Formats: sequence, C-alpha cells, structure tokens
Amino acid sequence: MSTESIFVEQLSKTYKVPEREGGFGAAVRSFFKRKYKDVNAVQKVSFRIEPGEIVGFLGPNGAGKTTTLKMLSGLLHPTGGKANVLGFTPWELKPDYLRSMTLVMGQRNRLSWDIPAADSFLLNQAIYRLPDNEYKKTYKELDELLELEPLMKKPVRNLSLGERMKCEIAAGLLHRPKVLFLDEPTIGLDITGQARIREFLREYNRRTGATILLTSHYMADVTALCERIIIIHHGNLKYDGGINDLSRRIAPFKLIGIRLSEADSHDLSGYGSEVQNEEDAEKRYIRVRADEVTRVTSRLLADLPIHDITIADPPIEDVIERAFNE
Amino acid sequence: MHYLKLLQNLLKLNIQMSLAYRADTVVNILLNLMWLGWELLGLSIIFNNTETLGGWGPGELIALLGVFRLVNTLMAALIWPNTEKFNQSIRDGSMDYTLLQPVNSMFLTTFSRITVWRIWDLVLAIILIVVGINMSGDITTPLSTLTFILLAVSGAIVIYSLWIVLIALTFWFTKFDNNVTILQALLDAGRYPVTVYPVWLRIIVTFIIPIAVATTIPLQALRGDLEISRVLIFIGVGIVSFWIASNVWKAGLKRYSGASS
Repeated sequence: MSTESIFVEQLSKTYKVPEREGGFGAAVRSFFKRKYKDVNAVQKVSFRIEPGEIVGFLGPNGAGKTTTLKMLSGLLHPTGGKANVLGFTPWELKPDYLRSMTLVMGQRNRLSWDIPAADSFLLNQAIYRLPDNEYKKTYKELDELLELEPLMKKPVRNLSLGERMKCEIAAGLLHRPKVLFLDEPTIGLDITGQARIREFLREYNRRTGATILLTSHYMADVTALCERIIIIHHGNLKYDGGINDLSRRIAPFKLIGIRLSEADSHDLSGYGSEVQNEEDAEKRYIRVRADEVTRVTSRLLADLPIHDITIADPPIEDVIERAFNE
Repeated sequence: MHYLKLLQNLLKLNIQMSLAYRADTVVNILLNLMWLGWELLGLSIIFNNTETLGGWGPGELIALLGVFRLVNTLMAALIWPNTEKFNQSIRDGSMDYTLLQPVNSMFLTTFSRITVWRIWDLVLAIILIVVGINMSGDITTPLSTLTFILLAVSGAIVIYSLWIVLIALTFWFTKFDNNVTILQALLDAGRYPVTVYPVWLRIIVTFIIPIAVATTIPLQALRGDLEISRVLIFIGVGIVSFWIASNVWKAGLKRYSGASS
C-alpha cells in the first residue's frame, strides 16, 4: 500500500474525434461515412502527490488539464496507464471513493437554480448519508470561512457569481473529502472574490490536511497557494517541481531595475533586453541571464549615472508563460 | 432504506419548487381537466355510432381511459421533466456531477424532478377506472384486482424501461433531444384497446412496442379474461425489460466515460 494520495503512471487518453472538411458536400458525405481522427489529449503523464499537498496544475487551453482531472475523478476511462487515488482506481467509481473526493468545476453548476442553496445542501446530506451532527459541524466550519449564512435562503439564480461560487465550493465539501480536484475554481470572479476563495482553500487545507490539485488561469491563485506546480502542454508533462525552482530551471533570468538621475534617454539595449513595466514608470527594467547579472550590473554602474538599482527574480507569471511557449 | 429517504428528500425539494411557481401549477390543473372533458367527448361520439369498440363497451373504455391516464401521469410527473433535466445536463456537462455522487445514477436521473401537482391526475385516473368498471357491470374479484395492480405496475416498468433505453441512447448520439417524443407517440396508441387494431398492428403494439402491456392488458385482467400463464408472462416481461434497461444504461455510462471530453 502506497502512502501518497495521488499516484499517476503513464496515464494517457486518446479521443476519437469526427473530422470533416467544410462545405455542404463534405457535410453530406460525413453523414453517411464518418472519418475519425485520433487526438492525444494526455500522453504518458506520471506524477505522485503526497497527502496534504496543494499542487497547481498548469498549461495553456487544450493542454489536457481537464482531461487529466476527469480521469483522476473517475469520469473518464484512460486509454492507457494507471492511476490510484487514496488507494482506489478512480474510474471504477466505487461509492467509498466518491465519498472521499470532490470535483469542483468553476464553469459547471452543481446547485439547482430555482431553489435556495440550503435545500441543495440538505439533498447532499442525504446523498452522502451524513449524520446530522457531522453535517452541522462541517457546515458551521464552512460558514465561518466563507460566510455562507446570508446566501443560504435565496434561490441560487439570485446570487452573484462570487456568491454562487462560494456555495458551489461549499456544496462540494460538505462530505469532508480528503482529495479535492478543482478546475478553475475562481474563473470569472473579481480580484476580491478570487482572493477570498484562495484564502479559504489555504485555510481549509491547513485545517483538514486535504490534498488539493488545482487548475487555474490566474497565476495569482497558483503563486498564493501552491509550492509545487505541474505543467503540461500538448498532453505531455513539461515540468514537475517547486514553483521557486521553475524560474531557475526554465528561465534563468533576473530583472535589473535602474533609476537614472538624469533624463531617461540612454540606450540600454547593449546590456540586455528592456522590459516594459507599467506599475513602476520611474524605473527601467532589463532582463539579463542569471550568470551575467554581476557583470552587467558593474558595467551599468560604471557607465551610467545611476540613482537606484535593484535585482530581482522575474514575476512567476512571466516564467510560466515562457514555460508554456517553449 | 437510504433510497427511500433520498426519495423523500427529492419529493420535498420538488414540492418547494412547484410552490415557487403558483400560477403555473393552477393553470396546469385546469388544462388537465379540460383535456379530460375532451377525451370523454371523443368517447361519447364513438358510442353514438356504435355499441362496442373491439368488444369493449362504454364503461370499459372509460376505465381504459383511466388506465391510459395513469400511464400518462407517470409520463408527465416523472418522465417528461426528468428527460428535460437529463438532456440539459448532458449539454451543459452537469451530468458529470450526477455521475460522481455515491448514489445510483439511474435513480437520480429518474427522480430528480417530480411534477408534484400531477397527484390530481392520479386521483382522477382512479376515479375513471372505478366509475368505468361500475358502468360496465363486469364482476371484479380481489384476485382480479390484485392481478390488475401487478400488471399495471409491470406495465409502468415496461414503459419506464423503454424510456431509460431511449435516453441512454443520448450517451451515444449526444444530440438526441426528441428521445421522448418517440415514446409519447408510441404511447398515444394505447388510448384505444389493442383489439381495435388489425392483427399485425396488434402484434407490434403488444410485443414490439409494449405499450399495450401498460393499458389494455391490466384491464383485461380486471375483467377476468386473461389466463394465469399470460399474466405471468406479462409480469416476466416487466422484469426482463427492467433488466435490459439497466444494462443499456450501464453500457451508456461506459460509453460516456470513454468518449466525452
């Protein structure tokens, strides 16, 4: 028996997608004889996740993130490879497995629109066979963290997107799952809404020791929550490791920021590529390879009338962006 | 036990939902009474021209109308609303959540929507059956009443199974929104006793499209003109069709998890 929460080995998924050319003739032909094309959504991906870890699962659209999450939650059968979550093979959909995990998808609704969330919660209580005292305890905890109470009595359709997402997440957690698969849990939310969900997830993970695998398009989610990230692209695993090591491994660059004491007309192209930074208009930034930082800095100091100088790691967003594009 | 409790929960939920739409509920009940009047009018026109229809008198036909409406209630209270919900959940992907709940997905698909006010229909249907039988002067015994109930349940299961198979086809074809229109069309054939139809059609109606099982046959049992062996066969048909349906459903789920993205 292994100790990790999630164990994935050589997991692959190939879809058969009907294919046809545009135009009327092609449409008629394809009605009688379909041509199919194989799409390799996920190709031989392997990783393992320890209990209590929060791991960011990243990749551009169509990289295979959702497909992987669906296989791990049990919705999809893989075409190859193995997966084991909490000792279960997910796609066997054993009730004991379903009771110990949850899948929350930011773009799909679990709650019924026409009734207040409170009623859907009670239905969930019945579905997961939660004893009253246990259910009340969990609800109280979730309410404390998410301030659910004022939202519970209104029909879900009258809630704002942020409010609804809070309820959706809470609904997915009533049975105290040990593993959480979160697919874009903050999608469409404003900055404060995102921050609240993020804060909640961190606190939930701290309190319950739940394992969380999360995808998001907002890098802030990832940098705030995850120490470890897994990047996939075109179905292949590109990176698996610490978020802080990523910049060293993928993009070993530093940003040198300088403020000049004179008018800003100097040409900096001889030192490195200049980067735009809207937040700090007074400074100019150049991207320099890590092993050249000392040399370039001393040249800058010697050549230019420098008022202030800083050396920093590039923002993680940029690094991940670069990782995708490689 | 767990499923009974779940059913109770779903029922409560649906009562709450229908209370939220008061006008809708009232209009529906009125509309329904109007339909009944229309159907009775149709019958009276038929019997102004002939004494019997396929060997069935006016009272028996009213009873048949009652059984037909019983089946219709099943359609309207469960099958229609849940089909709508099912088709939508396939389209918007919320089916994924249904499948990940630790409860039989066929059960959830069957009972997540219940049109509660249709209970009136049920009462109306039973009145029609009782009145019809009284008018016809047929003698009913406790045994024939029991067989009637058994066969009616078995017939309902046949229709239910047919429905499950039809909606499970959605797993293969993705867009199959008229799945239940087909079922309704088949069902409408059950409004008149099967003996009205020519033999070849009767065979289709009884065996290939087993709607008659749900309407004419239970009533024949109540009249006492059904042999015991045939009663057993029809009950067997109910069991077998349920078995087939749940297997088609399972295969559909497998297909869904193999192909969807």
